[in-house]
Amino acid sequence: MSQVTVRKQKRKKNHVRTRLIVFAVLAGILLLCSLFSAYLTPCDPYLQDLSNAKAAPSAAHLLGTDRYGRDMLSRVIIGSRTSIYSTLLLVAVVTVTGTVVGVFCGWQGGKWTDTVLMRISDMFLAFPGLVFAMAVAGVLGGGLHNAILALAAISWPKYARIARSQTLAQKEMPYIRAAVLAGSSTAKILFHHILPNIIGPILVTAMLDIGTMMMELAGLSFLGLGAKPPAAEWGSMMSDTRSLITTAPWVTLAPGFAIFLSVMVFNLLGDTVRDYVDPKSR
Amino acid sequence: MKKIAAFFVTICITAALLTGCGGSSGSGAASEQEKKTMIIGDTTFNPENAEPDVNPHNDYAGWATIRYGIGETLFKLSDEMELTPWLATEWENTDEYTWKITLRDGVKFSSGRDMDAEAVKQCLEHLIETHDRAPGDLMLEEITAEGQTLTLKTSVPRPALLNYLCDPYGCIIDVDAGFEGGITAGTGPYIATECVSGDHLTLVKNENYWGGMPHIDELTIRTISDGDTLSAALKAGDIDAAYGMAYEAYPLFQNENYQFSQIATSRAFFCWMNYESPVVSDPAVRKAIAMGIDKEGFVSTLLGGNGEVAVGAFPDSFSFGGSSLTTEGYDPDGARQQLEDAGWKDTDGDGIREKDGRKLTIKWLTYPSRQELPLLAESAQATLKDIGIEVDINNTADHNSVITDMSAWDVYASANVNASIGDPEYFFTSFCLDSSSKNKGHFHSDKMEELAQQMAVEFDPEKRSELAVQMQQLILDDNAWVFCSFLKMSMISKAGVTGYEYHPTDFYQVTADLDIEK
Repeated sequence: MSQVTVRKQKRKKNHVRTRLIVFAVLAGILLLCSLFSAYLTPCDPYLQDLSNAKAAPSAAHLLGTDRYGRDMLSRVIIGSRTSIYSTLLLVAVVTVTGTVVGVFCGWQGGKWTDTVLMRISDMFLAFPGLVFAMAVAGVLGGGLHNAILALAAISWPKYARIARSQTLAQKEMPYIRAAVLAGSSTAKILFHHILPNIIGPILVTAMLDIGTMMMELAGLSFLGLGAKPPAAEWGSMMSDTRSLITTAPWVTLAPGFAIFLSVMVFNLLGDTVRDYVDPKSR
Repeated sequence: MKKIAAFFVTICITAALLTGCGGSSGSGAASEQEKKTMIIGDTTFNPENAEPDVNPHNDYAGWATIRYGIGETLFKLSDEMELTPWLATEWENTDEYTWKITLRDGVKFSSGRDMDAEAVKQCLEHLIETHDRAPGDLMLEEITAEGQTLTLKTSVPRPALLNYLCDPYGCIIDVDAGFEGGITAGTGPYIATECVSGDHLTLVKNENYWGGMPHIDELTIRTISDGDTLSAALKAGDIDAAYGMAYEAYPLFQNENYQFSQIATSRAFFCWMNYESPVVSDPAVRKAIAMGIDKEGFVSTLLGGNGEVAVGAFPDSFSFGGSSLTTEGYDPDGARQQLEDAGWKDTDGDGIREKDGRKLTIKWLTYPSRQELPLLAESAQATLKDIGIEVDINNTADHNSVITDMSAWDVYASANVNASIGDPEYFFTSFCLDSSSKNKGHFHSDKMEELAQQMAVEFDPEKRSELAVQMQQLILDDNAWVFCSFLKMSMISKAGVTGYEYHPTDFYQVTADLDIEK
């Protein structure tokens, strides 16, 4: 390898590292904002003031007010807790569930438990995602918890597939055979040896999924199957105020922009993490 | 060579397809020119609003029958809500029990049958057999038919009989023509040909209409329950007129391309209390709810001023209206005190009161097709929370079945035209008595039953008004219903539409005068 190529690769890696830091900081800011949202809101996000309804953005209300006179900036900030943390919880749940199922199936490799679980995951994968989530949320009833459950129900098979294929590959590696010969317990092999070696691609997929999940959760809320009034959640805030898009556009645009911004930050962070851990870019 | 042949074949097929498209749209345009069509978008023609078809003998479907010009009643209400003959020409009270009604000559049902006393008798008999409210309202004992003279005999003196016959369930239809697919044969300017409630209703003009030739060849009523879709459809020109537009969308149509027909109605937004609810059965809670709803703010802001604050069941324009009544005003401090005195206290500091280990949470049931009902719910949710009552909103199109489960709701907010027949008795007989089909909250008052009996036989309009005031005060004192607002209703149409006028009853809409410039 020539010296120029090595230098180029080094520069590329440094560039990826800088991007990673920038997006991680941005995502961190979003997370901190949502964590401390209760202290950051300039006004009470649930306080109605009908005499000041649909007020345009001004110094007193930077993003204007909604049809009940509630401060939009405060609602967008407090809504971040519901939207971002629900998404993180959802991604965590599906990642853990999918990985556990996938590792177990991979270890079993071809036995009847593996076959049954994989056919079940095939069934879930066969349905169009959001449509199936709508059906599940419809059956369970409205509410954010049910929306999370519905999305979790459709999202875990993807992780199970990845974890299973990775486990199958690792299972045949000499170090695992050595561990088996050395008399390690199955649990120790799975969690101590296999899991640390397959977690990379799973985490990258999870990072990339944050944006998608946030959109899907907002989508369910937009359809009236997510957060219930008066809870501030970006998707339901857009849905409730879509009739005002022509007369008081700020009411719809503010939560829309918040979704756009957060999804973009988490997507770019996911992309950068993928580039960073990609062996080709090392 | 093969490639060239394939290219030519592709060109030929594309050309043939395009020619086909052009040809069909051309012939379509030609037939459109001959036929005058119109589409009205409507938020309420659906089972959610008890209009599952256009059979007037089925629940509230008569509203659709009369609203879309399919059926007509023996009498109608004028713009001043006074009784005038319609399919009848005159009437006579031979005694307190007997009404002799002369029917209009030359009226035919859309089935081709002449409308005579025998046909009307058959229709009224079927109505009494099948409808839930009509038998109790009309109290008919005997119906006699002779040529064009119909004699009705009631079991008790029935002063408001003719008003009750103005109710949309009183649409005169040809029973012999059947009820297939929920379609009936009426005498109106339009004939229903296809009915899919919740989706659309197709009507064609009745060329034998007794009141003159209707102008529209084919009229479609398209159900669009979502207010945003309705406004987008009118904006895009997919529909020519709209009923039930959200007030928030009005500014979009306040220009020379559209016209409004607006009128104050007795359509009220009001809350029903569930007397079997463990929380709302407490009079102090009901009173606090009445004191905790900001009616003024709701009307001025969320209705955009298109209404008036309600006191009782009827607007001030009626002699039995709200001006002679008293009820709780918006008084959060008074409401807090009321709850405090009744033992509802916030002991755990979460802002919601408790008593005997039970949280003061009310399940608020409402529905979305009346666009501002969900807004009322969310507004009340905030103001009631302020006094320590948590409101859990269930805004569902399925409200008619949810309400039958007494444990599924505490307060039900709905919209109803309370003086639809121009007489107050309808409201009380429909909602407030033990026998009322709409007494879903199981309200009971001996005094109310007694006053209702008096009103049922009282012929003097002044005394009827006095009784109506007393009866309203009775329910207001108990906060059995909380009346929030009366609506100014509007229909919006494109500038070229004529004869599309609102009526205070909210059910005379499509007439033979309806026309559109294409």
